[in-house]
Amino acid sequence: MHLIADLSCPAMAALSEEVLLVVKRVRQRKQDGTLYLMAERIAWGPEGKDRFTVSHLYADIRQKISPDGKAKIQLQLVLHTGESTNFHFSNESTALRDRDAAKDLLQQLLPKFKKRANKELEEKNRMLQEDPVLFQLYKDLVVSQVISAEEFWANRLSLNNVDHSASNNKQEVGISAAFLADIRPQTDGCNGLRYNLTSDIIESIFRTYPAVKQKYAENVPHNLTEKEFWTRFFQSHYFHRDRISTGLQDIFSECAKQDEKGLRSMVVQGVKNPLVDLLSLEDKTLDEGYGSNSMAPSTSSANKTVKENSNSAIIKRFNHHSAMVLAAGNIGLSPRGPAVKIQEAIEYEDLHMENGKKTVALNLKKSDRYSHGPVPLLPQQYTTSQDIINSVNCIQQEIANYKPCLTQVMSSSTASSAIAALSPGGLLMQAGSQQAINQMVPSDVQGELKHLYTAAGELLRHFWSCFPVNTPFLEEKVVKMKSNLERFQMTKLRPFQEKIQRQYLSTNLTGHLEDMFQMAYNKFHAWQTRQMLRKT
Amino acid sequence: MKLNIEGLLVYFPYDYIYPEQYSYMLELKRTLDAKGHGVLEMPSGTGKTISLLSLIVAYQRAYPLEVTKLIYCSRTVPEIEKVVEELRKLMEYYSKEAGEKNNFLALALSSRKNLCVHPEIVHANIIVYSYHYLLDPKIADLVSKELAKKSVVVFDEAHNIDNVCIDSMSVNITRRTLDRSQANVETLQSTILKIKETDAAKLKEEYRRLVEGLKEANVARETDIYMSNPVLPDEVLQEAVPGSIRTAEHFVGFMKRFLEYLKARLRIHHVVQESAPQFLKDISEKVCIDRKPLRFCAERLRSLLRTLEIADIADFSAITLISNFATLVSTYSKGFTIIIEPFEDRTPTIANPVLHFSCMDPSIAIKPVFERFQSVIITSGTLSPLDIYPRILDFHPVTTASFTMTLARTCLCPLVVGRGNDQVAMTSKFETREDFAVIRNYGNLLLEMSAIVPDGIVAFFTSYIYMENIVASWYEQGILENVQRNKLIFIETPDAAETSMALEKYQEACENGRGAILLSVARGKVSEGIDFVHHFGRAVIMFGVPYVYTQSRILKARLEYLRDQFQIRENDFLTFDAMRHAAQCVGRAIRGKTDYGLMIFADKRYARADKRGKLPRWIQEHLTDGSLNLTIDETVQLSKHFLRQMAQPFKQDQLGLSLLTLEQLQSEEMLQKIAQIAHQV
Repeated sequence: MHLIADLSCPAMAALSEEVLLVVKRVRQRKQDGTLYLMAERIAWGPEGKDRFTVSHLYADIRQKISPDGKAKIQLQLVLHTGESTNFHFSNESTALRDRDAAKDLLQQLLPKFKKRANKELEEKNRMLQEDPVLFQLYKDLVVSQVISAEEFWANRLSLNNVDHSASNNKQEVGISAAFLADIRPQTDGCNGLRYNLTSDIIESIFRTYPAVKQKYAENVPHNLTEKEFWTRFFQSHYFHRDRISTGLQDIFSECAKQDEKGLRSMVVQGVKNPLVDLLSLEDKTLDEGYGSNSMAPSTSSANKTVKENSNSAIIKRFNHHSAMVLAAGNIGLSPRGPAVKIQEAIEYEDLHMENGKKTVALNLKKSDRYSHGPVPLLPQQYTTSQDIINSVNCIQQEIANYKPCLTQVMSSSTASSAIAALSPGGLLMQAGSQQAINQMVPSDVQGELKHLYTAAGELLRHFWSCFPVNTPFLEEKVVKMKSNLERFQMTKLRPFQEKIQRQYLSTNLTGHLEDMFQMAYNKFHAWQTRQMLRKT
Repeated sequence: MKLNIEGLLVYFPYDYIYPEQYSYMLELKRTLDAKGHGVLEMPSGTGKTISLLSLIVAYQRAYPLEVTKLIYCSRTVPEIEKVVEELRKLMEYYSKEAGEKNNFLALALSSRKNLCVHPEIVHANIIVYSYHYLLDPKIADLVSKELAKKSVVVFDEAHNIDNVCIDSMSVNITRRTLDRSQANVETLQSTILKIKETDAAKLKEEYRRLVEGLKEANVARETDIYMSNPVLPDEVLQEAVPGSIRTAEHFVGFMKRFLEYLKARLRIHHVVQESAPQFLKDISEKVCIDRKPLRFCAERLRSLLRTLEIADIADFSAITLISNFATLVSTYSKGFTIIIEPFEDRTPTIANPVLHFSCMDPSIAIKPVFERFQSVIITSGTLSPLDIYPRILDFHPVTTASFTMTLARTCLCPLVVGRGNDQVAMTSKFETREDFAVIRNYGNLLLEMSAIVPDGIVAFFTSYIYMENIVASWYEQGILENVQRNKLIFIETPDAAETSMALEKYQEACENGRGAILLSVARGKVSEGIDFVHHFGRAVIMFGVPYVYTQSRILKARLEYLRDQFQIRENDFLTFDAMRHAAQCVGRAIRGKTDYGLMIFADKRYARADKRGKLPRWIQEHLTDGSLNLTIDETVQLSKHFLRQMAQPFKQDQLGLSLLTLEQLQSEEMLQKIAQIAHQV
């Protein structure tokens, strides 16, 4: 059943989604309604209304629980935030089937979204961690709610996705070695055991024991239901490897054989590192019949007791289990050749003189200084005392021989204005009087100003990127960005200005920022008036 | 650097030297000067091999007439390969420093395929091969008998040399051996018939030679051209082959009779133990076989196989074994015992009779080596107590010394855990080893350590069966599940290929940061041949004291022999043997000064002076009173502290303390300090 639903959802307006499944007569908070499973979300709306009161993105769902054996047939969704929602399937005749249909569909959908959500989150997290400037920007704009996180990321992720797609190979998550131990059976009160399986555990089982996965594919759902399959799995001799095989109808007895085969083939492949190859450790073993311990306990199973057999089965199982767990999480270290291993084994690194080969990692405290390069020292002329004496003599001589040339004298008013212009603060001495900002302003204020600049720059970038405004979307955005700018000015810039005023610092520190904002407002107003004109 | 070792110029291919290396070379030189034998113990990872090679090569170059050859014996193939690499390094240094192309010839023999009489072996300056080439009379006779007297022989990793000696001289005969010998004899018979028809002259020639006796060999031995062979006794060389086995047919008939007799001896229902003279008396009474022809058996068979031009001697391994047995049993009235068991102890219902002809005296196999070669050096990281080796190998060393490891930081931490947190004593003592509380405490120890030790942990058990049982009960108690939360678990199995795979995976898990535990057994292949350097072994746990299985009749006979012949008390020997294996196990983790690791002795008996005192000095000196008889909690606390310290960056503050430059080495003060490193026994 496929249909297109028009969703009137506040967060994401006017988006059409494909509906994959509709289940009627589902109760939520004691209210009857209809459950919709769509391409990206699951939603529920009360009967007779065309609006969803419950709507969850699949990516937000952590877990679904479908408790068995209860009177009510329910499906519980647990979100990443910890909230949970219960749906009660109330159509008596088909409740169980409905629930299972919804559950199965969710089972297929959830892993896909889970991965995507995780990946995106990871990517964002990584970017924030790697780039402190971005992180600050994020704090300034998103955490203080100037713009929403979605807006913030809107044109960043796509940019970076391209850059990182090559280097950012998805790293597989390994398997816990004790995942089987985590499946703690609980008694259900009436002489039975209950195992709680999560999709993580199932995946771990499949990855560690491919034979079980194969069995699953072969038998579920045509021969067995999922539940029956896992019930048999936990009852099987395979799971309890130390128990001696009882029934032949055990579908897992074949798995044990396959594992054995797998282990054998691993063993036959042999090892690459000659230093751990026990088979070729001894140069020459004694010929048959020589030696005092040649009567080593025979390993053939014929003269072993049942207990010994089960013991060695446990040991084999541990080796196999660990090897499979290791292989499942393999990150593929490149193996080094045998010659290298032996070289390494005889090397005494501390007996060698280090020939300056050891490098020190570059630790940059001020990265701008590194990127801008050193400031060139101005060539300074040093004068020796003899030079000074000489010049003093020179001047004395000049003055002694000075004859004023009164015909070329300036008027007194011109002279005094020239003096004023040349004194500190005067017209021609502006550069000299303006002390560098880094001397006048305390460093915390400087830092704050820097943050303001980056944040404002980011907002302005968003704003200016809207022009030329030629789509309705941009229209909407430019309005929003303008209000964002105003909000920023109010919530961030104003307090800062007040602060520097309190500290009696020159207010023109923020003059340039104000100018930039003003420029943006002017542009906006110009655009708005033109819009109005066009409309009227 | 170029060193001056008491007037000898030694090229040492490194820029720095450890003080103990200098001390070791000093003692080695004194041994060579005295043309005597030496026993030297120095911890692994202190560059023993390169010290040995540097000094002996320098000695050979300085006194080419005094020492003509170095014969370097090691135990495993990787060890041999390492020696070859270090030698290569030394030679490169020589050609770089001296500027001349080195005309040293070094030869490494390894694996059965290379086993042939190599003409070059006589001319080589250095030979590197495995113990067996010198200690196993069957191979030594082919490979090593012509090696010059003026050679220096080094047995590296020699802590088990007595067992190698014993193994090479012991013979086991089963029904299968006898059946195969029977087949061999029949093949021989038909070949003889064939040759008789086609080339009778060949057999006549052999007969003539045998009448002359083995004069040639005797002359060669007396003039020191050949090394003596324990399977070829002097009497055999001096006399002609007795008439009764001189012709080929007679000899084959003789062997048939001998085989029939052995078959009859295997038809028993209870255990028989007798000495060689008793055996000879019985065979003489029952089937009229004398001692003299028996003694010639091995040589006579060899001659026959040569005459018949049989290419593949391996096909005749069974009859060769029988003939060697015949010669040995009639040659040595002491040092061997014969035990005939109708079945294995573990499976009393299955008849599987075995005749063990067991050597109890390791000195028999090694005697020719000590007698022939000018200097024999026995060395290893663990040879304590040093005085026991000269006693059981029956030789008189001129130097016996143990060297400690100079350390800038204490990189090993031996701890003796004697109790669980519940105060129940922890021990693998026979009476309590199946005790539930002991097993649980052992499990808790492993669990606790798995949570605090980074990367790799290796745990050793006293025997394979003990390990199987403990693993099974840990599994039942859920301990292993909890261990798995911290690390992956790999376990040694009796199958070498399987264990190799487990080992490789174990290393992989240590390498990629996952961390793993290897459960293994003392006296097993892992404990003898695999190193766990750096993160491959940050802790070794020795569960229990690895005493040998004392119920074996062969062991009992050997203990009796040691008591009667060498006045070594049974308990002393057993403890010595257990402690050397324990030291081997825990020593696996420390492979150098930059390495570090915990050594956990999990048995309260280690705290006793008679056990502790038998550990190598370099371990003992770090075993303080504060690290004895600890509970699990205390062990965890001390371990945490140690690991935290070791995890700090290893600053290069070794210099002048545990690492020396040439100048530092030459200072008077340092030379005095170095003199204290060697601990003479």
